[in-house]
Amino acid sequence: MSTLAAASVLLVLLLILLTGGVWIAIALAAVAWFGLHFFTNTPPDVNLFQSFWGSSASWTLAALPLFVWMGEILYRTRLSEEMFEGLSPWLGWLPGRLMHVNILGCAVFGTVSGSSAATCATIAKVALPELKRRGYDEKTCLGSLAAAGTLGILLPPSIIMVVYAVAAEVSIIKVFLAGFIPGFVLTALFSGYIIVWALMNPEKTPKEDARYSLREKLYRSRLLVPCILLIVFIVWVMVIGWATATEAAAYGVLGALIIAAWSGGLNFKSFKDSLMGATRLSCMILFILAGASFLSSCMAFTGIPRVLAEWVASINPNPYGLIAILALIYIVLGTALDGVSMIVLTTSVVIPMVEKAGFDLIWFSIFIVLLVEIAELTPPLGFNIFVLQTMTGRDSNYVAWASLPFFFMMVLCVVLITLFPQLCTWLPDALVGATRR
Amino acid sequence: MRRALDRLYLGSGVAAALAMAAICVLMLAQAFGREAGILIRGADDIVAWLCAACAFLALGHTFRNGDLVRVGVFLDRLPARPRWFAELFALGISTVFVAYMLWAVTGFVYDSWQFKEVAQGLIRVPIWIPQLSLVIGIAIFFVAVLDELIAVLRHQTPAYQAAEEARRAAGDFSETV
Repeated sequence: MSTLAAASVLLVLLLILLTGGVWIAIALAAVAWFGLHFFTNTPPDVNLFQSFWGSSASWTLAALPLFVWMGEILYRTRLSEEMFEGLSPWLGWLPGRLMHVNILGCAVFGTVSGSSAATCATIAKVALPELKRRGYDEKTCLGSLAAAGTLGILLPPSIIMVVYAVAAEVSIIKVFLAGFIPGFVLTALFSGYIIVWALMNPEKTPKEDARYSLREKLYRSRLLVPCILLIVFIVWVMVIGWATATEAAAYGVLGALIIAAWSGGLNFKSFKDSLMGATRLSCMILFILAGASFLSSCMAFTGIPRVLAEWVASINPNPYGLIAILALIYIVLGTALDGVSMIVLTTSVVIPMVEKAGFDLIWFSIFIVLLVEIAELTPPLGFNIFVLQTMTGRDSNYVAWASLPFFFMMVLCVVLITLFPQLCTWLPDALVGATRR
Repeated sequence: MRRALDRLYLGSGVAAALAMAAICVLMLAQAFGREAGILIRGADDIVAWLCAACAFLALGHTFRNGDLVRVGVFLDRLPARPRWFAELFALGISTVFVAYMLWAVTGFVYDSWQFKEVAQGLIRVPIWIPQLSLVIGIAIFFVAVLDELIAVLRHQTPAYQAAEEARRAAGDFSETV
């Protein structure tokens, strides 16, 4: 059987298992077994063990559960409640006023949390009732929350980024650094849209008459500052080479525990909940990575990625055309798959292709993260839409429509980083060096 | 029986959680130790083994808790009867394949015990000892999957479904990426 025919058989099998509701990691491993057993002469059981053990018994990967844990600890502090109080005094002067709290609140919480649904739910829980009470426009409010919640995975430290870095075998710190500027650009685009919208609909923004002195402003933001400092510290120790990603993540856990204790949110129950929650979430991700690693080894033995990459190279596509097709494929995948699965499922096939077409793998990480973000906003499995739907009782179509302008802002951001790849690559190259991968 | 099984799942989940906490403690000890001039030999190897233990020991607990992801869009839209068949399909395939995983993993670890293979890093222990976490974790996972298969055959709501629905009803989204 030709390699391409084998590839299509495996693809169909995978689709059947996935739509049938088989757990993703098991589906990946089952397809890998099928491929190895029928299309190669390698014994699948030895490969299964080596992929499972090799992918999970990894010192680099140990950073992942620790980053997850850090987010879980901070999620259970009063940080989210104080986000509104801490940010609102600073933003009242902008057109659109407190609507910007949604955006910036998500951006700040997203840095510590690394998960987009959690970011969206946390900020929405505090901001929605407050903004409603003051008479802000509900539609724009929902749209901005759904979209800005996805900043959680673009601003480092992000769990999705660790997954990508491990799957594509690139440096975690470079991927983290690459996310900063696009993260700021996207935040600015969201806020910019709100400013334009507010200037066009001045009657929809209520007056704000609270005035605060600088001291009062700082006092209200007392919980925000340590969190931002913690993130800066984590990234900084990795950049100067003082700690590895795994050590930095351990510092993150320690810092999060200190912040939680200091703000009075740490007791045995919240500690235990954060630990067990983080264990389950990490187990889910690590098991998918193990299944995907088995599938990658099957791919390597069958030679499918090489053939596909050569095929793509032989038709010599316009690089922008290739990127546009990939973007489309990811948006379609995103309607049914979660972000982690999307990344690990495609890396073994897509990475050789993208590399052959001359794209930088660090740049590609941001491209793929942005598309995962977009997927969170597209029905039927846009998870942020689902989150807001459950929280407000609104129809999911209503929330999807509300977030449409912000969806276009995200597409614009993808276009921007494709036209100006330096937005992603400049910071990591300048701080870590272009040669180190 | 029910209580013993539930304890088994929870116990292995707690063991995985302790492995994760141990990773954190070890990494901190290593980082601070380096500043103080103390080198912890082989800490990196132990961290890698703990990471594997964290991933695989928690499988049964995570599965029962509805945290292992799958594509739910199509299942959620099915009426009760076809949904029951769909769950049986998913659980049936999973049971068979997890049984295969258990066999493959056990066979490999049994071999490395037979041939007295030793870890390649700084810590020269027989490699089957850290690798045992895979065998134990997948064995418990297999029991958990079989447990759910039997529950669905008896027309009971599987624990993963109940847990997920309860979480969504409570508006708790902390366990999704």
